[in-house]
Amino acid sequence: MRALFIATVFAFAVTAGAAVKTASLPPNKDVKQKPLSLVRVNVTGQPYDYFRPWQKKAPVSKRALGAVLSKGRVLVTADLVTNQNYVELERAESGEKTAANVEVIDYEANLALLEPSEKNFLDGIAPLDIAADTVVGDRLAAWQLEPTGALVATEGLVTTIQMTKYPVDVGQFLTYRVSIPMQYRENSYTIPLVKNNKLAGLLLRYDPRSQLIDAIPAPIITHFLKEAESDHYRGFPTVGFSYFSTKDPQLRKFGGENGKGGVYVTSVEPNMPAIKAGMKVGDIVMSVGNHAIDENGNYVDSLYGKIDFTNLISAHAYAGDVLPFQIQREGKPMELKVTLEHRDANDYISPPYALDEAPKYLVLGGLIFQELSRQYLKEWGPNWQREAPQRFVYLDRLQSEIFPGEHRRIVILSQVLPANNTIGYDEFAYLTVTKINGKEIKSLNDLAEAVKQPVEDGFIKIETEEDPKQIELDAKSIANEAPELQENYGIPSLQRLD
Amino acid sequence: MIGRGIGAGFVIEGNRIMTNAHVVSNSRYLTVERDGDPNKYQAKVLFVAHDCDLALITVDSPNFYKNMTPLKLGGIPELESTVSAYGYPIGGERMSVTTGIVSRIDFQLYTHSSIDQHLAIQISAQINPGNSGGPVMQNAKVVGVAFQGYSGDVAQGVAYMVPTPVINRFLKDVGDGRYDGYVDLGLTYGKLQNPAQRKFLGLKDDGRGVIVWTVVQAGPCAKILKPGDVLLSIDNHPIASDGNVDLEGEHVEMPEVVERKFKRDNVKFEIWRDKQLTTGSVQLDTVPPYFMQGHKYDVRPRYVVYGGLLFQPLSLDLIEAYQPQDLRLRHFFDFYVIDQLYLEHPDVIVLTNILPDPINTYLAPYRGQIVDSINGKKIHTLDELNQTLSEPADRFVIDMIGDGPPLILDPKQVESARERIRTRYNVVREQNLQEQPLAKPQDLQTKL
Repeated sequence: MRALFIATVFAFAVTAGAAVKTASLPPNKDVKQKPLSLVRVNVTGQPYDYFRPWQKKAPVSKRALGAVLSKGRVLVTADLVTNQNYVELERAESGEKTAANVEVIDYEANLALLEPSEKNFLDGIAPLDIAADTVVGDRLAAWQLEPTGALVATEGLVTTIQMTKYPVDVGQFLTYRVSIPMQYRENSYTIPLVKNNKLAGLLLRYDPRSQLIDAIPAPIITHFLKEAESDHYRGFPTVGFSYFSTKDPQLRKFGGENGKGGVYVTSVEPNMPAIKAGMKVGDIVMSVGNHAIDENGNYVDSLYGKIDFTNLISAHAYAGDVLPFQIQREGKPMELKVTLEHRDANDYISPPYALDEAPKYLVLGGLIFQELSRQYLKEWGPNWQREAPQRFVYLDRLQSEIFPGEHRRIVILSQVLPANNTIGYDEFAYLTVTKINGKEIKSLNDLAEAVKQPVEDGFIKIETEEDPKQIELDAKSIANEAPELQENYGIPSLQRLD
Repeated sequence: MIGRGIGAGFVIEGNRIMTNAHVVSNSRYLTVERDGDPNKYQAKVLFVAHDCDLALITVDSPNFYKNMTPLKLGGIPELESTVSAYGYPIGGERMSVTTGIVSRIDFQLYTHSSIDQHLAIQISAQINPGNSGGPVMQNAKVVGVAFQGYSGDVAQGVAYMVPTPVINRFLKDVGDGRYDGYVDLGLTYGKLQNPAQRKFLGLKDDGRGVIVWTVVQAGPCAKILKPGDVLLSIDNHPIASDGNVDLEGEHVEMPEVVERKFKRDNVKFEIWRDKQLTTGSVQLDTVPPYFMQGHKYDVRPRYVVYGGLLFQPLSLDLIEAYQPQDLRLRHFFDFYVIDQLYLEHPDVIVLTNILPDPINTYLAPYRGQIVDSINGKKIHTLDELNQTLSEPADRFVIDMIGDGPPLILDPKQVESARERIRTRYNVVREQNLQEQPLAKPQDLQTKL
């Protein structure tokens, strides 16, 4: 969706429906323009290059509008400041600038809080309050700025409120969908959505063709801000099970449930709250936190009506909370006390994202070893699920099914740099490493240790799941030629393991 | 679906007409015409070789062959020598002739089956639909059968012909009255060019040997080879470390030795294993799991309909018909042979479609999933599925591969809906478990 952000800017294209509002005219020349609760945010970001894991990609500049909140904080989307080298705040009316720090960032909820390095920088700007009561049918205004600093407000209608996937694709979050005839200004990333001069949401994605905005809603923002108050930011909570509708009466009967409602538990993730609380495959979840769940997995929300029950967990509950789950097991009702936890990206076998983090790698004689992650797969672009090596996509998407209960990484031989040691190997790529020198490899650190202990006569034996199954290197020759390899390919260090 | 198509063919000795397999595949009614003869003659197929895209057909009417001189087969034409292609491109009554030169002689994918690779000759003569099956001539001898080309994104105006070694092999194979098809070693192997690897394996620096990667368990080599073995020679031809052998004065890839052989022929290897030299011999055969990944023709698709649910074994034709996006299905297809998935799933049984009925109205989410077991019993083949579903049971709990919920069916409900579904969807037969209609042996042994 981000590619759409580079929409053409039509200077005169503000349409009739858009309420164009500037600050009220001053009664005399001495009165200054009243500052908006917005600041421009200019970011230079530089993502890591997973195909050349020792280096970064070319820097990119992004612009956005941050919402000024109380206590001198500025709220933006996380994808704006991800992999940032430098963040700068700019006052809209004066153009004054200052550097800023990212205080808290949540990639899953796509939110980040910035603080200016100059404490007084935001003085005089009235902070935005949060309006968490938006419902379908409400009108929200998207706030953008003219180059002069004047406000451009475009009004849109909230058409649906539902759970959707956010960019990093971990769980689902509440989302407002707003139908809005908006024109992009300054290719802005973050755009605040405002209701009665209160912050109602932040732009998540925009489809200019259908003129639909998806917005991160105030309840998620509130959750994020509340969590950000704590000393140790924990992130949004999860339960760790997958479920299926019980609309099929045969499946209901099989699960031993004769009443109405509930969802069928199809899998429980190892080491996650659901399994710790005793949940099992085949259970039927009837209610969560005293909200009854229908056969499609919806509860009745006081604001939104029927909506997926995961909203009860992500928006309304916090890590550490204990939620009662009423279940039916083989026809008998039971209550499970589920202590919610946040699942860290590193607690996956193939982490769903790795941002602001340098990728691990190890180069051995020209063979490049890495750990499989979705961040790596996303190097194949938006269609990575079709275009990335299919075995890797399969391992990533079905990781918990393929390695049930395992705490490990998948080490891959991602590519081969042609060199003296890799003669005859240079066509190998995208292989899954199983063993090195006879030792099982479950992380890049395992691999780094195993290569230090060559098998007989100084050979390093590498075994892969796929063809070629096994290849060997000469440990001494690798050591001898390492400086030349580094020099030749411009690799500052042959490994990064943390 | 009924469609019409035309191609070309040429008469060879024995009143036989040679053409492409793809010209006559799935044909229900076949006629041939001669240049300058107003009659249409009904023809019948003698042999079809889908793996090398060749077919032999014949006409019963002796009038057809009157005054006709059969064409003779030549050898492999020289690179850059001129050849002429004859056929009926884009239809038309009159024969068309195009000329070009021999551009390349190499192994190519034969797209008709889309799993077979054989020798093919690229020529610069124009070949278009309707040329298919026509002879490519040089010095009044047939040097190839025009069969496929490329046009579009990758390359343009690239035309290929089936060369005479492939044609001769086909003619020899059918000599006993049936076509057995190409045999295969059923293994993957790699070059042995890395000095460290050669040293590790205890090999001399003599540029010889290839290393065995995967041995297909259903293939002929499973008895004598295992991954990591080094093949030093095949039928006494030394194998170079780049995988080539010298065969009749030509430098060709190792499988070429097998290409020229037939079912039940033997092949002998010198094997280097654990730094010891041994020898081994295998009797060659086809490797059936590969066929799942290739196109099928002249066969009736296998299926079972139960409770309006259509179960079919995974195949290339199924993938092309349903274009599934499902990752698991694509994985089972892509890695069926190389990961030896066929050992546990000789048939990968997919719930491909649902004929809507009140008894299956909530089952749509199961579409595209793969059957793992029924009532706790692993299902390996379509026959087993059919058998299990016809046994008496209170209910069928069908577990699909993966984390999804089981699919539950009540046999009583299925039985009560059976006539309704049969009538509503005009289901003539609820299952077909055999690809071939049960043929009498004499049908297969058509006399020439």
